[in-house]
Amino acid sequence: MFALGFRCVAAAVCVAFGLAVLESVAGPAEVAQIKSRQDKFRDMGGALKAISDELKKRTIDWDNTVLPNAQTIKDRSGYLLNWFPKGSGPESGAKTYGLPALWQNNDDFVTLGKVAQVEAAKLNQVAISKDANALKAQVEAMGKACKACHDSYRSPDYAKENDD
Amino acid sequence: MTSSELSRMESTLADTTDLGVWDLPVRGMHWLLVIGIGVCWWTGLHNELEYHLYSGYAILWIVLMRLYWGLVGSSTARFANFVRGPKAILDYASTLHWRDTPHTHGHNALGAVSIVLMVGLVLAVVILGLFAVDVDGLYSGPLSSYVTFRQGRHLAHLHYYWFTILLWVIALHLAAVIFYFIYKRQNLVTPMISGKRPSNAGDAEMKIAPLWRFAVGGVIATALVWAVSIGFNF
Repeated sequence: MFALGFRCVAAAVCVAFGLAVLESVAGPAEVAQIKSRQDKFRDMGGALKAISDELKKRTIDWDNTVLPNAQTIKDRSGYLLNWFPKGSGPESGAKTYGLPALWQNNDDFVTLGKVAQVEAAKLNQVAISKDANALKAQVEAMGKACKACHDSYRSPDYAKENDD
Repeated sequence: MTSSELSRMESTLADTTDLGVWDLPVRGMHWLLVIGIGVCWWTGLHNELEYHLYSGYAILWIVLMRLYWGLVGSSTARFANFVRGPKAILDYASTLHWRDTPHTHGHNALGAVSIVLMVGLVLAVVILGLFAVDVDGLYSGPLSSYVTFRQGRHLAHLHYYWFTILLWVIALHLAAVIFYFIYKRQNLVTPMISGKRPSNAGDAEMKIAPLWRFAVGGVIATALVWAVSIGFNF
């Protein structure tokens, strides 16, 4: 009787432990999702930097630098609202700087995401127009759209840790 | 009153006279650096990078000026007069527990280590910040166009990491000031405000460098910081 009870308790502990491990370890889909969105955001950051760097030069290389990078930002931003499915937050156990508030206040996040999409489309239009002053203003508007979301929905730990 | 009594009185009076130890530029740079680092810390933590950049430029100017003043400034500001070798540092450290040591005129051998360490760290943190990339593309360092996005992000993290090391060194500096105040009964803060400290018999007066020399350095440092702020894109 005692042995049976012990086995039952041991089995229950094992099941509970197994469930806890399953709960805390990210599934491959979530890990891939988080890694993928981090890579895409890094591409977008690199593209915006490339355009900003051009603005510091005497002559702007529109065709080889500004246009392709503005296109990258526009294309990528078109999908960014799909990169944050439920379950791909910190609760997945995978390393992410996305705060739980992103999913809790999802309507606000979606609004900010749509603003970023509009600004990215404008940036692409300005790149096509090859107007340096307009580009400078639009790079700032794009950066502010990015920052608005980062300020609310990205962990401050992002600044402390290496995001490579 | 005999002449020997007079000379004894004079020497007693001389013992209690305040002696100039820190000139105006050293005191100004010290307290401006305190404010500058405080502003940089707050703006960095709160992602107010526009003001972080401005305060970073101010710190760069102060550090450049401190280095310049360490070469051509007043006697107590000059590195040649206070940076000492390992033996002098160890000798001083071995007497640290003595309560009744005379007030060092300027930086003591151990304090000099912390000054060199702090100035070096502040300069390193500022240089890393000049190349740091802001992910939002708004307030990257002025020299970030010389590095890739990935390199710039890595440098931004190093900027943060070395700042935390600097904070520990600053904490050590403050702990030393408190130690001197409580254990050795030496007030190091008031002289950094007034420029004067109680003299010991036989102390030599500080050799003050002219302010025009500071102004010349100020113009050069301002030009250099401006050139950095536009990424050397003239």
